[in-house]
Order: sequence, then structure tokens, then C-alpha cells
Amino acid sequence: MAAACRRLLELPRVNVVLTGACSIVCLNAKDGEPAQFKPPPKPVIVDKLNPEVMERRFLSPEFIPPRQRTSPFKFFIERRDMIQRRKVLNIPEFYVGSILSVTTADPYAGGKKSKFVGICIQRPGKGLSATFVLRNVIEGQGVEIRYELYNPLIQEIKVLKLEKRLDDDLTYVRDALPEYSTVDVNMMPVPYSLTDEVPVNKLKVIMKPKPWLKRWERPRFKIQGIRFDLCLTEENMEKAKKWDMPWIEFDMLKEYDTSELEKRIWEEVNRELKK
Amino acid sequence: MRLWGLLGRSGVRLLLARSQGAPAQTVAAAAAGGNRGRWCFTVRHINDATWWHEHLSEENTQFLKKLTAEEYKAQTENKLCPLKDEPWPLHPWEPGSRRVGLVALKLGMMTLWTKDGKSHFVTLLQVQDCHVIKYKTKEDNNGKAPALLVGGKNGSSFHRDESSMEMFREAGVPPKQKVTTFNVSENAIIKPGTPLYAAHFRPGQCVDVTAKTIGKGFQGVMKRWGFKGQPASHGQTKTHRRPGAISNTRVAKVFKGKKMPGQLGNWYMTAKGLKVWRIDVKHNVIYVNGSVPGHRNCLVKVGDSRLHCYGDDHYKNLPFPTYFADGEEKLPDDLYDEDIFQFTEPSITYA
Repeated sequence: MAAACRRLLELPRVNVVLTGACSIVCLNAKDGEPAQFKPPPKPVIVDKLNPEVMERRFLSPEFIPPRQRTSPFKFFIERRDMIQRRKVLNIPEFYVGSILSVTTADPYAGGKKSKFVGICIQRPGKGLSATFVLRNVIEGQGVEIRYELYNPLIQEIKVLKLEKRLDDDLTYVRDALPEYSTVDVNMMPVPYSLTDEVPVNKLKVIMKPKPWLKRWERPRFKIQGIRFDLCLTEENMEKAKKWDMPWIEFDMLKEYDTSELEKRIWEEVNRELKK
Repeated sequence: MRLWGLLGRSGVRLLLARSQGAPAQTVAAAAAGGNRGRWCFTVRHINDATWWHEHLSEENTQFLKKLTAEEYKAQTENKLCPLKDEPWPLHPWEPGSRRVGLVALKLGMMTLWTKDGKSHFVTLLQVQDCHVIKYKTKEDNNGKAPALLVGGKNGSSFHRDESSMEMFREAGVPPKQKVTTFNVSENAIIKPGTPLYAAHFRPGQCVDVTAKTIGKGFQGVMKRWGFKGQPASHGQTKTHRRPGAISNTRVAKVFKGKKMPGQLGNWYMTAKGLKVWRIDVKHNVIYVNGSVPGHRNCLVKVGDSRLHCYGDDHYKNLPFPTYFADGEEKLPDDLYDEDIFQFTEPSITYA
């Protein structure tokens, strides 16, 4: 009984707002005749608890064609197959830095399925051959698996934690302390909102001593997520600036504005997915 | 034109001459801030002295372009039903028959998966406005087999000589960007003007693709032939990417065909025995296994594979002499090889 009451209480309350002046029969003092009856205007119902918010607009990056001379028709053909696959398998929204769990068919695994949980560190490739890399540290050993996004062997892709990081490519976590790429294998999914902005995790990692895979301090990587002050001297950072090319961002030939293209493709994909 | 050019040039010279001996007031007016010298510029001539540029205005060019597009469309639509339009007699397939091929456009590459979960990189070849242009009899061709000329992708009729235009006019099709020859057997000849489609090939069969490779220019032996070169250090003087010795004193000559530096690429090459994985009948696209010579958007020649390992049985069940869109055979939008994973299917499991 109490539970039922609580449920009743928890029903979304609807605020009714009456707009317009209340015009019920009122006598005109001058003529002494009743004014013409006007039906009251319909109440406009505004639900303040559940405001109508548009779902976040998201287009997977592999849909955006690279800048080249390939005919747009080729990308259309490819997109058709991608949409077909997305109708069968739910490929959720995720970013570099999100934590995913991927289940694939595997003939050599017990139960013929294998599951891997890890942090997404790269999302290279365009079109049907787009991939993503998951990284985790298992029993002290770093493990990375590159999955093809549209591979028919993939059974399920689940987002355990949706977030972005300061960089679009987290390859440098290979050279960071292992705690930054360690994810609990039995992690419970963290709920996330479909409407709000994706949270950005402003974590800065601490690196292992050199040698590294690449010289991450060089300006061309544009890395924000490393505590350089702990691993490099100021003199080193000054030396790295020698490779800085500050004029590149003003190079108009390298501009590639995809906003229009993205909008068109998003509409096409959404239309096809709803069919 | 030449007269005008001369006049123009002399005019410019005149202006220059005047500027050199100019009255003081004009120079002062032009360069009020200080004596900057010459204030007259020569006009840069762009080389656009063709007949079209001389006689056609911008509007005329636009009008002509529109007109030709309409004309091409009408010509193509005229030929859409070759079976009703007095076709040449069709013969059945026999062992040893050779069919015609197609001219296709290389779109690019993408991935397809087979049902066992293996990925295959495939090339997309689109068949655009492909028509049979001309029939050459055995005697006209090489004395061994008759030939069919096949053209693909409509081109401009401007800047084209009269003899080649005559060929297209006889066939009643728009002029093509690329025309190739296919040697066929006597029973596989088709009337000129017949359109050819991607469904000419079927999934599972093998094709040969010929195209001009990407030109790399004049290259050394390391890039061209994969020579090892010489070490970077240990006393090497100016000898790092050189071929080394090209012969010995005993033979006292350089053998013919010695691998040496030279032009690399930009020649015709054939990729043989490529499997057709999938055919898009609606959009006329062939999905061919692996890579194909040539750059993106180049026109390639696609024909049945001539490798001996595929016997006659390989070609027995293909449409002969070609696939007619107005024939009795009704095809679905997509034809798949039996091993190919279709994206409408559920994910692969090993149960």
C-alpha cells in the first residue's frame, strides 16, 4: 500500500498554466446587456519536470569522408552497408577515453565468445574499415586489441563509462604509469545522460621515465594530458619548441570544414536508420 | 588572332615608350609620394586562343553544354531496349567461347567480410555508360578472332577528331572517354550500340583488370627493382643507392634486360584472376577482390579471366553473350557470392 502511495506521489506533476484573461460572462456596465460569450482559451500544458530536450546530436566519426578526390558516390555506397549493419548491431556513441566492453565470437574461447573491457585509446579509419583500440592492463601486462567497428564477429559493444579526455589520441598511455590504463574487468556500467554534453575528464597522466614510444613533448602531437613538469626539465621543453610550426594553423589550404557535410550525412543516416 | 596579338603587344610597347619619355606632370601625378619610376604594367597573356574561345561567348558555351547533355541522354535512352531493336542473332554458349568485357571506373577500396569472419579488401568498379561501339570482323582485326570495341564514360565531343566521331555516330552513342578492344569468339558478337551492365559478371567468377599504373617518374634501382643499395657508412663515398657492378670483364658487355634505373609506372598492367565478391545491379558496381592497377577515378578494362586454371566450366553459367536489362532475367538489387557476409544478417556466432 505504501509503495503504491509512493508511486502515486512520484507521478510526474503537471503544471497547468492558464493563459489569457479570464473571460467568463460579465455584464457590460454601460449597456446593461450581456457581452458576447467567449469560450475560454485552451490551457497550455507546460511540463516543467520533463522539459522537451533534444537528444544529443552525434555522428560517428567514420561517417565523415576524408578530404580527397574520391567520388562522393563511393562513400554513399559504403554508408549504405554501414547503416545496414547498424540496424542489426547497436553501435553506441563513444569517444577516445571512454571505457567499453566488447563481446566477440571466438572459436577458440570456452563458450565460443570472448569479452574484453578496456579504455578506448584510438579511433582510426574511415568508412566500413573503421577501427578502435581498447587497452587494459591485465595481471601486470598491458593488452591492446584493435577491433573493426563493422566486423560481423562483434556481438555486442557496451559503453561502461562515457567520457572524453583532453586529447583525441591516447596512444601515450602506453608510456604512462600502468594505473592510467588499468580498468576493472568486472566494472559496472556508469549511467550517463543522452541529452547533456559529454563530460570531459581533465585527468593529466604521469609518465614512466624515458625512453618513450614517441617524443610526446614535440608540438606536433599537441598533447594536453601529460604532466610534463614531472618528467622533463624546462630546458627539454624549450628544446622541443624548436619543432613548433605555429603558422600551420593559419594555412588556408589545410582547412577542411565538414560542418555542412556532417549535417547532411547525419540527416541521411538518421532517416535510413528509422526506416 | 595573331594580328590582334601583335597590335596588343605594340600597344603595350607604345604605352611603355610613352611612360619612359613621359611629361613630368603625369609622372608627378602618378608618383606623388616620391619618384617610384615605371607606373605602367604589361598585360599577362593567357593562352586561350582556341576556336571556341574566339567565337563562343560564355552563354553560348553554357547553352552548348546543356544541349549536348540532353542529346547524350536521348541517345542513351534510345538504346535501352536492345532486344526489341533488331538484335543480331543470339547464339548459345559453347566450350571455348569468349565473351566481351566492360570499361569501368575505379572508385576506391573498402572491406567485405566472409561468413567465417575473415575480412577481404575489395576494389569498387563502377560501370558508367558502357556501350559496344564497333564490331571488327576477323579479317579486319588480326585474322584470328573478331573483336568488339567497347567504350565507357561519356566524354566531350569538343576537341575530338572527325574519324573517331564517325565511329560513335555510326553506333548512335555519345563519344566515350575510353575505348578498348576485346577479342571475342564468333558466337559472342553483339550489335554496336548495345549497353553493357555490371551484371555481365557474376559473383564467384574471376576477372582480369587492365589499367595504366600510377606513374612514379624516373626512379633508381632501389625503388624500381628493390635492389638493396650500399651501406650508409663504413667508408662509403657517394655510393649508397647505386646498383653496383652491372657486368664483369669476362663477358665484356651488359646483358639485355639488365635491371637499371628508368621510368617506373604509367604503363599498362593486368591484375589477373581477381574474384568477384558482389555485384550491385542497381548502381552498376562490381566488387573485385584485392587491388587493381591505376589511380582512383581511372578507367579500367575488365574482362573474363584468361588464366588457364579456370576451365570452361567456370564460364558456363554466365549470361551469354551479355546481360540484357530488358531480357527475361530479373535480378535483385545486390548479388552476393555465397561466402560473403551480408550486412542484413545477424552477427556471426560459433555455436
